[in-house]
Amino acid sequence: MLHPTVIALMVGSFLLCVMLLISSAHGVRILRKWDLQSGSELQLELERRTYLVSMLLAYALGFQLVSLFLFIYTADDLHRLFVGAMCAAGTLNVNPFGYPTLVLKVVNFLFAAVWLIMNYADNRAHDYPLIRKKYGYLLVMMPCILAETVLQTLYFLDMKPNVITSCCGTLFSEESSSVTSGIAALPSIPTKIAFYTATLLTIISGWMFWRSGKGGHFFSVVAPVMFVVSVAALISFISLYFYELPTHHCPFDILQREYSYIGYLMYVALLGGGATGIGVGVLMPFRRIESLSSVVPRLQRLLALISSVLYLGFALISTVRMLTTNFRLEGY
Amino acid sequence: MITLKDMKKVFNAGKPNEFTAVRGVTVGIEDRKLTVLKGPSGSGKTTLLSIIGCMARPTAGRVFLDGRELTSLPERFLTGIRRSTFGFIFQQFNLIKGISAIENAMLPAYPTGRPRAEIRRRASELFELFNLGGKAEARIEWLSGGETQRVAIARALINAPAVLIADEPTAHLDSILSREFMDIMASLKREGMTIVMASHDPIVYESPAVDRIIEMRDGGVVGEVAS
Repeated sequence: MLHPTVIALMVGSFLLCVMLLISSAHGVRILRKWDLQSGSELQLELERRTYLVSMLLAYALGFQLVSLFLFIYTADDLHRLFVGAMCAAGTLNVNPFGYPTLVLKVVNFLFAAVWLIMNYADNRAHDYPLIRKKYGYLLVMMPCILAETVLQTLYFLDMKPNVITSCCGTLFSEESSSVTSGIAALPSIPTKIAFYTATLLTIISGWMFWRSGKGGHFFSVVAPVMFVVSVAALISFISLYFYELPTHHCPFDILQREYSYIGYLMYVALLGGGATGIGVGVLMPFRRIESLSSVVPRLQRLLALISSVLYLGFALISTVRMLTTNFRLEGY
Repeated sequence: MITLKDMKKVFNAGKPNEFTAVRGVTVGIEDRKLTVLKGPSGSGKTTLLSIIGCMARPTAGRVFLDGRELTSLPERFLTGIRRSTFGFIFQQFNLIKGISAIENAMLPAYPTGRPRAEIRRRASELFELFNLGGKAEARIEWLSGGETQRVAIARALINAPAVLIADEPTAHLDSILSREFMDIMASLKREGMTIVMASHDPIVYESPAVDRIIEMRDGGVVGEVAS
């Protein structure tokens, strides 16, 4: 419990929750009282305050993005304390709260990234065109982040060193009946075809959208699909090439020193590509708002470029490993 | 056209020393005219001028510039409008000692990103216009009161603003320099500039260059006179 990163995560999450509760109260006032046509004292106070709240919230949600990686690092680092754990997979399994916390952290990473993108677009217009939408969205996101903080607290408080946990070889084996096992058991060749098809479609459509501004809707659909396919590919066959073991599907071992911490780079690329790709789609309905008509298309094209580059990076790291290792998956 | 609607400014709201500087002012300021806000100290002239020039935000009410609402604008938009639309002449002139007169005049143009040579050319033109050509490289503390005043005017005009705002500009000038100042204002008005001044100096509000006088007292408008 007194591990520095555990303290950092706990303190950071509690501060984030306090910030979110204050911002949500402000958001409720915005949703109920906002009227840009009015010059009332209340309206002017809301305008002044929203500037401050948005800025503080942007920093708080920036922490939310970082906290996912800090959480994974913590889980990985703590595995030495638990019998049976060989990486983060085992540490997350020491009690029932580990994996739900991780799932919520990933979901909230994407939630937070989308809010930051909306906030960035809103701040570039002179008439607060997304103010109600971004605070409405904040109210949807808030319960998820609160739930994550509760689960994370329970997870850290309920860690018992005498518990014998399972190693990743058991958790991500093809034989068990969990969702991850189902993904691990996916046939490699069809999964490879799906992965490289999704990669090509995403990168080509992203490049075209960045160059010409056309095909944004297609990219908005294919970019989130690429995220899901990449996660499945990572568990199904990419991880096998890193470990050079045909049955070891753990997505956490690649975070360790033995693999040059390459997992962090891959997850940054994957999550960054996913968040920016989803951002393109989220902004699509706002292109026609007059004050955003010059801002949003430019921002979308930039996001599509970032998303494509990050997905390309993920695919390149995976492919280089697959081509340079002596391990051969097919024919095993 | 600058329009102020139901303008209110409260300082230290909710505290024992709460003070309402401007209360319920609705007024329009016409383009290419010289308007004077006249009133005793504490009547709200300077506060109103600060709000018009986007240097202070009101507690309630709206400011419109050519139909565009300004008070709701986030700071990043307001900065650009303030820089490109308004030129300011302050009561104490607020020139920076230790640097030359022309550098003082050039300062507000630096954030615009214009090339330095172009800014210097514009400043030199203004210095020639105000008979300051020989004083360009002189430090500001070496200049006489009249020269200092003209440097302040040159600085206010460096970004070619549409509106010139002057807060008690003759407060520290003798009668000759005050009349000279009003002559310069008259010539700027003839060139199409909108000028708004706060003053309780008779040399200012009795000047033939003034088109309209808005009388203020206790934060409110108590009368208007069109010259």
